[in-house]
Amino acid sequence: MNFSILSDTINVKYEGNKIESSDSYIYTRPHFKIKEDDFFLDIKNVARYRVQGGQTILVDPYENTDKESVKLFLEGSALGALLHQRGILPFHSSSFLYKDKGIMVCGDSGAGKSSLTAAFFQQGASFINDDITPVSISDPEITIIPVKTQMKLWDDSLNKLNIGSNNLLRIRPKLNKFYLPMDKNISEHRLDQIFILSIHNKDEFMAIELKGIDKYNVLRNQIYRKVYLRGMPEIQKKYFKQLFLLAKNIPVIRVTRPNICEIDDTMRFIEKKIIL
Amino acid sequence: MKNIVWLASYPKSGNTWFRMFLANYQKKSKNPLSFEEIESATISSNAVNFEDEIGLNPFELYQDEVDLYRPDMYHALSEKTEKEGIISYKKTHDAYTKNGEGVPLFPENISKCAVYFVRNPLDVCVSYANHSAGKIEKTVEFLLNETSFLAGKKKGQLRQILMSWKNHVQSWKNQSEITVHFVRYEDMLKKPLETFGEIVRFLGLEYDEGLIKKAIINSDFKTLQHMEQEKGFKEKMQKCEHFFWKGKIGNYREYLSEEQIQQIVTYNYDTMKEFGYINNEGKLTV
Repeated sequence: MNFSILSDTINVKYEGNKIESSDSYIYTRPHFKIKEDDFFLDIKNVARYRVQGGQTILVDPYENTDKESVKLFLEGSALGALLHQRGILPFHSSSFLYKDKGIMVCGDSGAGKSSLTAAFFQQGASFINDDITPVSISDPEITIIPVKTQMKLWDDSLNKLNIGSNNLLRIRPKLNKFYLPMDKNISEHRLDQIFILSIHNKDEFMAIELKGIDKYNVLRNQIYRKVYLRGMPEIQKKYFKQLFLLAKNIPVIRVTRPNICEIDDTMRFIEKKIIL
Repeated sequence: MKNIVWLASYPKSGNTWFRMFLANYQKKSKNPLSFEEIESATISSNAVNFEDEIGLNPFELYQDEVDLYRPDMYHALSEKTEKEGIISYKKTHDAYTKNGEGVPLFPENISKCAVYFVRNPLDVCVSYANHSAGKIEKTVEFLLNETSFLAGKKKGQLRQILMSWKNHVQSWKNQSEITVHFVRYEDMLKKPLETFGEIVRFLGLEYDEGLIKKAIINSDFKTLQHMEQEKGFKEKMQKCEHFFWKGKIGNYREYLSEEQIQQIVTYNYDTMKEFGYINNEGKLTV
């Protein structure tokens, strides 16, 4: 089967037989093995994935698994490995176009990237990516690459955004997190600004523009599945230059929000920080 | 390499207080260190560490699935610090449990040892109710519930299985994989030099009585309270006013009804007796 998640087509094969990993990986853990052009991942009770040469993904679902779970990790960790193999920097971030500005929101899982992006969407922004945003970096062009994945939102975020979940598909059968279909007709777009979203236990919002080595290090920390780079030294070298260019050219603001707050308040706070 | 020390406890039992003591002791600090000094020694249920090392979003896994990867998360952390040749101290509120594959969450072959902080469950109850901004009656139920757990929902920390207060204590006591030194919160408060000194010796750190005294002063409860008022503390919940609330022994008498005291005592009787919270006559010691 073909997997149309990037602008080209990725060859995804569902293998009936067990996928074998080869030897000679550079970095291994019990559930994944990686070298420059070969990645093997075993998600217990879901599927095994093997990603090769930035082109092919082999999938071997476990018996009694469900197709939603198989798809979730295919469009997550396996896609991340494929992007790394292509040398396209994937960030753990959501992205959108707001008043013609390409905005990327990075942050740890649970920071609120998706909810914030959905809130901007309701304010007229165009949705680009959720959770993974690949960025093409070549001086002077820095571009967000859309991937054809959907937005994923928890039930409480959907409630806060006044979106019903009755007709939405769950990302996994036993999770109250849903795919939210959104119009997505965007091609590549210039990246204008990056926000790093984090949480604290105080009641106020904070914003600080990052500079210098701190900016570089924070950006490096936002790379999606950066643990894979331990087995990809050549790609890591390439990324070093790309991150340097990114830090040099794009403003980065760290926004810290209260752990308990309204999505709308976070959206309004960030909206004021967007350089129009 | 056995280079991780688990600082284990049921919540609100002196774990953070000890981490502040340890930071001050190890840095030989003249003045009280800030909370930032212990923030790098994160809790074992840190979801960011999990995603960084395991490469999976823990909130898109079922929590029983997360536990399948947790032993390897600690192996990875151990390997990282092995290169630096240092011992990591990891706070944990997890009971000692095994995952669905029968593997202990805390692997023996990377664990140097553990210190377990135990506190009178009656005081734990009122302190925890304050910490979680919850009602006392709900917290009583929580302490007695064998299926109690913390976090592991949509964000924040990984799930930590607590079980009841007594079985939390007993889970660490009954395992034989990791050597554990049990410390009573009340002894840390009443005879600090002796109690902190014993921990220092147990951990194999160089024993320096002058430094222990200084670190005890630097991590004194009033000092920590003052620091929290001045700069806040990351581990406080947003709805809770103070992480370092009262820290007193026997504080429960002001907040728990006789019925609630009886509920907790009846359920946890043997373990409370074992740790000296109930005497041979069956009376509460505090």
